[in-house]
Amino acid sequence: MVNSKLRVFSISLVALLVVTSSGLVFGAWYLKQLEDKVVEKFEGRKWFFPSKIYADSYFLYAGGTLRIQDLSEKLHRLGYFEIAGAPKAKGEYRIAAKEGLIEIYLHDFDSPTERVHGAPIRVTLQGNVIAKIENIDDGKEQYFLELEPELITGLYERIWQERKVVKLAEVPPLVVKSILALEDERFYHHFGVDPIGILRAMWVNLRSLSFRQGGSTLTQQLVKNFFLSDERTLSRKIPEAVMAVIAERKYSKQTILENYLNEIYLGQRGSQGIFGVWEAAQFYFSKPLTDLTVGETALLAGLIPAPNRLSPYKSAEAATKRRNVVLAKLLDDKIITGKQYDAALKEKLPQRSLVKVTNEGPFFVDYLRRELEENYSNAILTKEGLRIFSSLDLQMQRMAERALVEGLKKLESTHPALKRKSDDDGLEAAIVVLRPQTGEIKAMVGGRNYGKSQFNRAFQAKRQPGSVFKPFVYLAALTHGGQSGTKYSPDTVINDSQFTWAYDGQEWQPHNYNNEYFGAVTMRKALESSLNSATSRVAQDVGIRRVRELAHKMGIQSPLPAVPALSLGAAEVTPLEVAVAYATLANNGQRNRPLAVKQVVDQNSKVLERRDVRPDRVLSPQLAHAMNQLLKGVLDRGTAASTRRAGFTRPAAGKTGTTNDYKDAWFVGYTPDLLAVVWVGYDGPKKIGLSGSEAALPIWTEFMKNATASMPVTDFVGPAIKPEERE
Amino acid sequence: MEIKTRVIILTAAMASSTLPGCAPQPSYRAPTRPEPIAKTAPAPPAPAPPEPVKQGLPQDSNIREQDIRSKTPPPAAAKSSKEPTRQASVSEARSGEATPALPPPLADDSSLLAKITPSTPPQRAASLRLTEEGRKILDAGDPGKALGRLEKTIVIDSTNPYAYFYLAKAQYRMGRYRESLNFLDIAESRLGPEPFWQAEILALRGDNYRAQGQLQRAEASYNQAIRINSGNRTAADGLTRMQGEASPAPLPSK
Repeated sequence: MVNSKLRVFSISLVALLVVTSSGLVFGAWYLKQLEDKVVEKFEGRKWFFPSKIYADSYFLYAGGTLRIQDLSEKLHRLGYFEIAGAPKAKGEYRIAAKEGLIEIYLHDFDSPTERVHGAPIRVTLQGNVIAKIENIDDGKEQYFLELEPELITGLYERIWQERKVVKLAEVPPLVVKSILALEDERFYHHFGVDPIGILRAMWVNLRSLSFRQGGSTLTQQLVKNFFLSDERTLSRKIPEAVMAVIAERKYSKQTILENYLNEIYLGQRGSQGIFGVWEAAQFYFSKPLTDLTVGETALLAGLIPAPNRLSPYKSAEAATKRRNVVLAKLLDDKIITGKQYDAALKEKLPQRSLVKVTNEGPFFVDYLRRELEENYSNAILTKEGLRIFSSLDLQMQRMAERALVEGLKKLESTHPALKRKSDDDGLEAAIVVLRPQTGEIKAMVGGRNYGKSQFNRAFQAKRQPGSVFKPFVYLAALTHGGQSGTKYSPDTVINDSQFTWAYDGQEWQPHNYNNEYFGAVTMRKALESSLNSATSRVAQDVGIRRVRELAHKMGIQSPLPAVPALSLGAAEVTPLEVAVAYATLANNGQRNRPLAVKQVVDQNSKVLERRDVRPDRVLSPQLAHAMNQLLKGVLDRGTAASTRRAGFTRPAAGKTGTTNDYKDAWFVGYTPDLLAVVWVGYDGPKKIGLSGSEAALPIWTEFMKNATASMPVTDFVGPAIKPEERE
Repeated sequence: MEIKTRVIILTAAMASSTLPGCAPQPSYRAPTRPEPIAKTAPAPPAPAPPEPVKQGLPQDSNIREQDIRSKTPPPAAAKSSKEPTRQASVSEARSGEATPALPPPLADDSSLLAKITPSTPPQRAASLRLTEEGRKILDAGDPGKALGRLEKTIVIDSTNPYAYFYLAKAQYRMGRYRESLNFLDIAESRLGPEPFWQAEILALRGDNYRAQGQLQRAEASYNQAIRINSGNRTAADGLTRMQGEASPAPLPSK
């Protein structure tokens, strides 16, 4: 019996020992795992930074035109807020429309080349013209004003964490003290977990029979944010407490505090999460952390438990109430004086509207991203916090999008047959807008609804250009002359009659629109009226290979078949290629590469890449000018004359394009300073049955009327000296 | 052609005194049309990038003057304490020649701000002011930053020839000679009858050709610049340098 008991005891003891030692081993292993996680996080990379894509900067100059409404909208989107009195702090502006005055206290901004310090600026208008730009502080006149570029979107994985990491020393003591007073008064006295704090919280919660106070220390909050979910369960709380103790054992209070101040979530702007105190100061008050007032500091600290509910963007009243509670606490704790308290209470919290990043220009962003991916991996783009300065003009982008959507709707209402039952195969269009002198892509719309189709017709759709190709034929003729010995000029007479072109044992016959032939016509007339037969005769005389060669030189990159039908655009090209080629004409024979990315800058403001304007002379300026003059006739007298009747009157050149089978309608047109290509058609092999002047030109006209409204009227200027005349 | 010949002799003389022991190349002596240097020089110099030229506008003569003085014995006038002006310096150099003097240099027309008058269209005025800013940045030795500024000038006024000139200059400083020449083409096509600037364009064209190793074209451009404006220092300096580059290296002394 005794033996039996002894045996049971022994077995139990052994079992206990085994269980205990296993538990200890497991516990030690688990602790080691947790410790490794903590160390990895604290000593490894804590945060990833999305890259941000910016639009082009906004440039004003004395003598230029400006609509107050445009500037006001721009400032609003840039996070400036309007006040009634004179702007006193960065990010404020005042508009006195009656006096023709706009006063702006500019933000600081890190441009790719320099740090621009914000200053108070006054813009005086006379009507819609900027009469004067001056610095309010010193009264010094300045002739330009460059506003920081707008953020278009960010490149990130899963969630967009907007954060700027700061050192503890860069955080004002009042911010630190306020946060500690509210979140963890005993931060410097506990070891990661605060039993006294937990007991106090339990007592408060018991008394109120509700969950009113948490006992988590600041270290626990940091650990939770770094590693764990938001759920309030024991299975989460235990590792949180253990990891907090490990963190306190391994790292200094300063390190933990600094990490907390950078990690803490403090609000939301659309898809952007606002993290860390520096970013929050920018988000809520548009100023650096170091410039916060006592009231603003109190509000910032008070937001931590519920940043979205207490946000001044949601309710200035609720935010003020919360701020006042915090101020009282700071006064009680003698962190601020009575005088500071009184002054802070008087600070008025304006109701501000939240400006979200709306991801505008998605087709442009896709194009730009493709360009970037040639040099940067996805990991770099989504984690390294690059700043990418682009060529996009957001105002033009909106105009282009509106013109395209409204234009297609109008077409469908006037030609009901164009409307399809299903949206998936509906009428589509694309617009590319370039600045010829620089090659900058100012706007790009690749379809009518990005949400439904991300296929970017502006640079992915290869379509037949139709008559848009004809100027290359005439340019080749003006450049090389004919094989017959004919030296072509705009006044050369061409025979516009039916003919057969025999080549490689085959025959090909061009036909005019409506089978109407005009006999002897000048080159000018043939181009203005887009006569197929006359054009093909010229192409035959010049040689189709020369035409092809010239089109490539101008900027067409797609392969072009050297067949007679090429003269009438029987090849496949993208709207972007067409834009580049015609921009060469607008730029007096100098071809620019299309520029979407202008500069790429890393987190330390080091310029990683700069894409400059690099023209390549492919045509003589005389020839380009001659063609510009010919193409002006297309708008003034030719197939695009309806644009004049529609109210677009400034000097411009262009060409309509319609394919033989009426599947593609084009218009490409340009002033000396702006070029736009519009394509309209279906994605599938369906006819739209409309010409370029019927389908694409109205969209182009609407866009150009708006886009050039504030530009000075300029005409094409011919070269003053012939470079060929040089020695 | 007569004038051109004289200029060539002048620059050859300057160069020969710069590099003692190196006789001027015969092709520089008296061609009516300069022969290709490759025929006379032992080997054409490699298309080396240009020496970093810190001088920007023609009237900013200090750096260029030092540059010249380092290669040439100080002319009599240079011994005076007063720094010679850019154009005076060329004239002084010329005054030592036996051949008749060139027509007097053109008046300095390099100030872009001076081109702004009440009748200047606002976009041109703004573009000129920005070009001036770009020029200063360029002179401060930051062509990359200058490009950023200068590209804006052509957006404001795409017909501003001076903007294209300084864009060309910035590209030249960055060693992009083809792009520089292309910008010069545009500048030239936009320029009105302004001989001072025509000479500037030709001189910069010469610099680009020289950097590309196209010495005959460089020489022709420089000479043409000097024919238009005998005070064009860039061209005179370019010819001097060409002469230096074309001369065989002196034998090491034993």
